[in-house]
Amino acid sequence: MSIMNAAKKRWVPYAFLSPYLLFYLAFGLFPIVFSFYVSLTSWDGIGDKTFVGLDNYKFLFNPDSYFFKSVGNTLLFVVLTLPVQIALGLVIATLLYSRWVKWRGLFQLINFLPYIVTPVAVGLMFNLLFDWQAGFVNKVLLKLGLVDEGIYWLGEPLYARMVIVLMLIWKGFGYTMVFYLAGLANVPKDLHEAAQVDGASGLRTFFSITLPLLKPVTVFIVITGIIGGFQLLEEPMLLLTGSGMGSSVAVIGGPERCCLTTVWNMYDTAYGSTTRYGLGAAIAYGLCVIIAVFSFVGARFYRGDSE
Amino acid sequence: MSPALKKTLATLAIAVLSIFSLLPFYIMTIMGTYQNEDLFTKIVLVPGSYLLENLKTVAASRFDLVYLNSLIVSLSSTVLSVFVSACAGFAFAKHEFKHKNKIFSFVLLTMMIPGQLGIVAYVIEMRYLQLSGTLLPLILPWVANAFGVYWMTQFIRSAVPTEVLESAKIDGCSDIGIFFRMVIPFIYPAITTLSLLVFLWSWNNYLLPLIIINKPELYTIPLGITSLGDAYRTDLAAQILGLTLGTLPVLVLFAFGSKSFIRGLTAGSVKG
Repeated sequence: MSIMNAAKKRWVPYAFLSPYLLFYLAFGLFPIVFSFYVSLTSWDGIGDKTFVGLDNYKFLFNPDSYFFKSVGNTLLFVVLTLPVQIALGLVIATLLYSRWVKWRGLFQLINFLPYIVTPVAVGLMFNLLFDWQAGFVNKVLLKLGLVDEGIYWLGEPLYARMVIVLMLIWKGFGYTMVFYLAGLANVPKDLHEAAQVDGASGLRTFFSITLPLLKPVTVFIVITGIIGGFQLLEEPMLLLTGSGMGSSVAVIGGPERCCLTTVWNMYDTAYGSTTRYGLGAAIAYGLCVIIAVFSFVGARFYRGDSE
Repeated sequence: MSPALKKTLATLAIAVLSIFSLLPFYIMTIMGTYQNEDLFTKIVLVPGSYLLENLKTVAASRFDLVYLNSLIVSLSSTVLSVFVSACAGFAFAKHEFKHKNKIFSFVLLTMMIPGQLGIVAYVIEMRYLQLSGTLLPLILPWVANAFGVYWMTQFIRSAVPTEVLESAKIDGCSDIGIFFRMVIPFIYPAITTLSLLVFLWSWNNYLLPLIIINKPELYTIPLGITSLGDAYRTDLAAQILGLTLGTLPVLVLFAFGSKSFIRGLTAGSVKG
């Protein structure tokens, strides 16, 4: 295990570790601790800080902070998109791995493309596709005679949410696909052969052998999906505000703020329509607590399940 | 079902999904080759003839400078992050030291913390250090990358044989020599995968530059794309072309790297 047991130079591991630790202390941990202090103050970044104790945290429970509304919105997006992403990613990975499919590498790349494209571009792209007047979707619907006039996709809460869910599924299933492909490559081949010899059908083998063996991958995807999902910002922001980013206060969070995510809320509170640094920091801490709760429950659920 | 039919059906299913994946890109690319007015009146399905004109409009906005900034930020972040992660991973995987398990658990814990937690204070810190007029604030957060350390630790633990390191040690090889000549060659797959990921993350990063960068000459691609909209509010076509150009580098990078990317993931830590 160790190449240093016999050696006297005890400082060597610390030397290899120190760049990481120093950078983390200076630009990771310090801002996190200092942010907590800021969250206990009322501050606009220019004038003096006033210590206000837990007032900012109390304000999170006030509907005017939009904190729980934004958490609810974000959670809704995660709940509606993650299962579909997992199912689609799993199906595609299984098909690609089955060797029934030609041009495997090409299809693998194509379906991964949406994930690697700059989120800002994704938001703008869908903004243009679903534009009321110039959008591709409305033009096609009109041409086919399915609607009499263009649908106001980004102006109605329900439609706006539908577009976001579609956009997130489009963007995310390539990510799950890649991890399932990696997981499938680690499933021992002889298990499948044994099942086939015993006369199990392809589907049966998949559900009783492959799927359980992929469980660690699924858990990884669910946890990173929740953490990543709660940090959602650019896609809805650019989708709903378009390229004239933030220029109009009316569109923050979309119609009736139905698509305001938690990080968007934090950005808008500290750097957008208001410059309340203290409240912004409190929103960030609130978000962290919520992510921690979900990760903890997720991990518990996983552990309880496997015993 | 006959094997031939299975093959056709499976390929067809994937092909349909691939069209779903590609369609938005296709429409965007096509839209960038038309004149602005046409976008509002026609359904465009085949390439137009206005590409060069739109290119000129984009070039006039100093998009090359934005590109350069993004390259500087992403390349520096990637190199620093991968190097620092490999060093820390080497320490965790092949050395014994006091509180090792505690420190490693701490690293795992920080992996769960969202990047936005300290952002308010980080911006103030950068202002205080008088770095907010440079590109450094966009690079520094990537250097200490908990995911990278975890990734490298797992990989070095399983891919680098301890006996090789021990015999190098006996032959009088220095610790730094061992790291560069014995460890690094064993972990190329992990380096490739981590490099692609960090490059992608920093290339696509939006919130931090949006808050910190206020000079147009320091804009990175995501900011550059959105500012194209401000400059040419009426010229949708040019903006769309800028969008396409801004996403091109990562597409090319993954087109060439996706095979080794997946190979690295497979060999790496997703085993649970």
